[in-house]
Amino acid sequence: MMKLYRLNLLAVAISTLLLSACGDSETTIVEKDPIQTDPDDGHDHSDGYLIESAGRLAVSVADSNEVAIYDLDNNQLLQNIAVSFEGGALSYSAGFRYATVTHRGQDQVEFIDGGLWREDHGEHLHDYKQAPALSSYKLMGSRPTHLVKHDGKLAVFYDGNSETGEVSSVEVLSDTDIANQTQSLPAFSYSVNMHGVAEPNGEYVFASIRRDDALSTSANKILPDQVGVFHLHDDEYELDHTFVESCPDLHGAAQNEEVQVFGCSDGVLVTQKDGSEFTSAKIANIDSLDGLRVGTIYGHEHLHSFIGVASQHGGGEALLVQINPEENEMDDIDWQPLTDAHPVSYAFSADAEHFLILDNLGYLTILSAEEHDGHKHWAFDRRVDISQQDVADMPDNHSFSMTVAQNGHFVYIADPIARHVLKLDLESDATSEFELNVLPKAITWLGIAEHEDDHADEHDHDH
Amino acid sequence: MKNKFNVSAVLAAIFPFISMANSIDGVVVNQQGKPVAGANIEIEGTSTSIKTDENGEFKLVNLNVGDNKIHVVAKGFAHLHQHVEIPENGLQQYIIKLNRTPIEVIDVQAAPVHLSIMESATPVNVIAGEALRRQQASTLGDSLEKLAGVNTNYHGNVASTPIIRGLSGPRVLIAQNGLDVGDVSRVGPDHSVATEASTAQQIEVLRGPATLFYGSGAIGGVVNVVDSRVPIDKQTRGEWQIETSSVNNKKLGAFNLTSGAGSLAFYVDGYWREADEYKTPLAGEQETIANSAEESNGFTLGSSYLLDNGYFGVSVEQFNREYGIPGHSHSTEESAEAESVFADLEQTRVQLLAELTFDNKWLNKLNVRASASDYQHAEIENHSVGTLFENSTEEVKFELLHNPLEKWNGGLSLHYKNSEISAQGDEAFTPPSQSQTFAVALMEEAHFHDVLLQLGGRVEQVELTANQLLLPTLEVHDHDADSDGAHGHVNEHQSEQNITRVFSVDQSFTPVSLSAGIVWDFLPSYNMGVSISRSQRAPSASELMSFGPHIGTRSYEIGALFTLVEDAHGHEFELSNQTIELETARNIDFTLRKTQGDFGFVLNAFYNQVDNYYYQVATGLYAEFSHDHDHDHGHGEEEGGHDEHASELPVYLFKTDDVVLKGFEAQLAWQVTNAFKTSLFSDYVRATLNSGGDLPRTPPLRVGTQFQYQNAQLSAQLDITRYQKQDKISDFETATDGYTLVDVNVSYDLPLLNLDTSLYLKVSNLTDTEARVHTSFLKDLAPARVGILPQGSVGIFNVFAKYAEKYLKNDEKISRYLSEKLG
Repeated sequence: MMKLYRLNLLAVAISTLLLSACGDSETTIVEKDPIQTDPDDGHDHSDGYLIESAGRLAVSVADSNEVAIYDLDNNQLLQNIAVSFEGGALSYSAGFRYATVTHRGQDQVEFIDGGLWREDHGEHLHDYKQAPALSSYKLMGSRPTHLVKHDGKLAVFYDGNSETGEVSSVEVLSDTDIANQTQSLPAFSYSVNMHGVAEPNGEYVFASIRRDDALSTSANKILPDQVGVFHLHDDEYELDHTFVESCPDLHGAAQNEEVQVFGCSDGVLVTQKDGSEFTSAKIANIDSLDGLRVGTIYGHEHLHSFIGVASQHGGGEALLVQINPEENEMDDIDWQPLTDAHPVSYAFSADAEHFLILDNLGYLTILSAEEHDGHKHWAFDRRVDISQQDVADMPDNHSFSMTVAQNGHFVYIADPIARHVLKLDLESDATSEFELNVLPKAITWLGIAEHEDDHADEHDHDH
Repeated sequence: MKNKFNVSAVLAAIFPFISMANSIDGVVVNQQGKPVAGANIEIEGTSTSIKTDENGEFKLVNLNVGDNKIHVVAKGFAHLHQHVEIPENGLQQYIIKLNRTPIEVIDVQAAPVHLSIMESATPVNVIAGEALRRQQASTLGDSLEKLAGVNTNYHGNVASTPIIRGLSGPRVLIAQNGLDVGDVSRVGPDHSVATEASTAQQIEVLRGPATLFYGSGAIGGVVNVVDSRVPIDKQTRGEWQIETSSVNNKKLGAFNLTSGAGSLAFYVDGYWREADEYKTPLAGEQETIANSAEESNGFTLGSSYLLDNGYFGVSVEQFNREYGIPGHSHSTEESAEAESVFADLEQTRVQLLAELTFDNKWLNKLNVRASASDYQHAEIENHSVGTLFENSTEEVKFELLHNPLEKWNGGLSLHYKNSEISAQGDEAFTPPSQSQTFAVALMEEAHFHDVLLQLGGRVEQVELTANQLLLPTLEVHDHDADSDGAHGHVNEHQSEQNITRVFSVDQSFTPVSLSAGIVWDFLPSYNMGVSISRSQRAPSASELMSFGPHIGTRSYEIGALFTLVEDAHGHEFELSNQTIELETARNIDFTLRKTQGDFGFVLNAFYNQVDNYYYQVATGLYAEFSHDHDHDHGHGEEEGGHDEHASELPVYLFKTDDVVLKGFEAQLAWQVTNAFKTSLFSDYVRATLNSGGDLPRTPPLRVGTQFQYQNAQLSAQLDITRYQKQDKISDFETATDGYTLVDVNVSYDLPLLNLDTSLYLKVSNLTDTEARVHTSFLKDLAPARVGILPQGSVGIFNVFAKYAEKYLKNDEKISRYLSEKLG
């Protein structure tokens, strides 16, 4: 605090006192580059301070507690960050600012600040760029498992633990909560444990409910069989409504702007808040599932339909179906898999134009929506070979992994055999690669998501 | 000489008492000759002091032979300054006679010159002990508002800042143990001050310019909250209190404890308070003030190492407060569920305090005060953070006091402060800024017979930097009748593109303050004082660089670095090319006091001319402000309700003008009988612009009386305070009716477990008066539902207990001496 130049200040101060007994002031103002904004935007928010950046990539490392953060502008390693435990599941926060690392076995979730985020300052949007860092903020709870993001909110479902008598619970948080280290998050808990899921939706949470085993229609009683709506009152959620329609062996869920869908052994449960009413419906399984059930569902806020995945537990052949709640229909999607191709990762592209299926053979299958008779249907578009390696060389317990950039049409694929990351442009199929210093286990994109209608979105859906 | 030395050395070896030859012992008595216990006797200009025992007796050792000046302080008595000639063989059975005063005199702590209500040239108030416990409120301004010359800007029970002689905000510095409190309460009236009265030991108020002691931010005065978080002794003592009040269902628990062992002393305090929304005397919708609930807690730990010649210690405080912001809620008529806006405030403060005395020809004492604080305050709207304010402040003060030089006491002060303040979000109306201050000050005082002279000078170097000063294109409109009722968007001509100009700003100021004061004891028991000062203040970041909506003041604020340009196309804000001037106050204070006897008074009159006074001028323009709440999904029935949020704010521009503030404070007290005392106070300030007009939110004339009855166990006060109508108003405010508040306090002392325990019952606003506070920003809100003082009926119930090891000796030898002497 007391550096040498302070002493100079002292000298200045004393000599000023001696020389003149009156105060003095001096102002230096230097103009910097102005911020120009497109008037077409039509929003007063946009005269802000924006940062152009491809984003950052978090790479978790197998058999290590390290997460490497790469700068996607120059593909350089920014920082290796050590989280508390090995083997955590890597994902992203609701605003893509933080990487989430879920240590299910250790009952906690950690956050790594990717260092890129945007704030709405009312007058303008303000972007920030900082070095990545491990946040000291942690979520603690019994067996955190499914982390679901929707519209700026992240719902963490804690499965609980029957052995220790810990019950399930749900906490809901935003990136701001992580930044502010909010100590008491809006939450609710159950009286039992379950392998459940929660979909955050404004001040509501649509979440699974496990009934008494005697009443439950689930074959595996740890899986819930009902869905309820929890409403936020004074920092706590209260159960507002329980849907009558049951959902045996509930697993997998997704939502768009209108509805929530849940995978059940007998079909897909669709729930909806319609004005002040809550309604539900069941879309029955189709014959082609041949005894399988939808256990994972993908949705996008801009799409009316969902894509469900039915597969044997533990991987293997996967059947994809299109779920259309508006017409209460389920249809096959023929993604034309190669022989022995087992998907390892699925994702929608950022603009929801494509659905991506990454498989164990090193191919990325790209589906596009085709329109037939006024119906949109997902169909095979093309297949990109993303690895020149012999997939037999895949290190044990590793697989290809992918993540979708939210600020463009790029998808990043980590290749543990080549130890590199491949960047694929979904518009041109052009690829580029950069080397990793580590063996990648999983990757996730972090940065400032660009929605074309970033602001329009908020305005449109405020009510 | 040589022989004499030898003899005394031999005698000293044989008789230990003779080695204390240059000592003084005696007794402190009142006018009736009865001993005064617990009186503190200090040798001025040194750190030698002692308290009298239960027989009023004392002994001080190791004194300089010759002239010594003693300063005697005892509760209920006038302070006594007296010269004592100590002969070489010491002085025995010296009698000090104290005179009663009906006005309590408590010294300001740790000032290089003497400051108290009766003795200094500068006007001060100090509130401590039971009076503090009686008046303490949840917020600082409300705790101090019964002091003459101090008003509150009452912000609906959840935030308030003291107004000193009509000045507040960046002109009144709030300090904790002499160090800047480091919050953002100077920026907005809805920002709570990060200090707590319930754990404080005393609160000191310096009225009028105090830049000399505290720097630029103190041009209007200082409020210093003092506690003993860094203990200066290890005497075991403590205090606890519990309190509840009916008007807002407030519950308070607080304690503090000091103790020690060996050379270490420890301190701990803590408090917890919760209050609901408060009730007003009005009926209907305004019966309770929405969003005025509050919850606070905090604790402080401190420890110090006690040396023979001083101490040094550190303390850590954690301060948490969560409060609703009344008038900042976005409830709509249709929606029962109001969106509450509340603030969540958090501060961690580390203080390091040290004092060392020297056995040196020149230097007498070094005082070191340093702090580092980290403050954060989030305004939370509908469960998400709307605005986040942060302040990180580091400060260090060195005070070097010299031994009496001729007749002069005093010293040099070096002061460094660095504050980084930022705001992010909806109300980030000021860009992030850093302010660095370096100052050097000299303060001296001397007694010449019955005249006290106090002089001081200070020069500061203030560096204010901001790297992102933004000048956005602001669409403003006026409300002219001839624009067809439509909003004329006056700058449409240039809107090909929205351009935000960006600047980096580096301001450097050198404020200089000078002050001279004289106090003349022109008659026994009377003195008069004159203090003149010239003080300068560097304008604050928000006064210079603001450009944005400020909901706390319901205005769109634009700093003095900008100017409004009007041309054929309309209005536009540009960078100003005016020089940024220092605010300069020339103040003169007159004081007349009767310091002792059964009747006492303190009368102050002041005239303060402030040049380049920074204040906000209404431009007559309005800016659209859409106060959006992102996470407002799912309220189907609130269709269209968002128009409620989109509002326009009047645009205020900071300008400078010359201002004159003049006024008076009067405090009179009469001890009618031993049990009955009556006192009267009044204060008034008139604040006018030289260009014509009045400053806004100036407190009205006040007159208050207190009748007090006190016997051994029971004490009761009846307070009647009249606030006159305020119609000396600025263009954009309305007059406020006067009102009379009647408060009653009763307290009963009961010895409980060897503690001095008191039970208090306090009833505020006994007559259920509708009191609207003119100085409050909330007074004018439509509907006027806030800014009304709480109703009375049943008030505050407080249990308060104190414990102290009595008459602890600071020296083993003295205790032995006393036990022998007393047999």
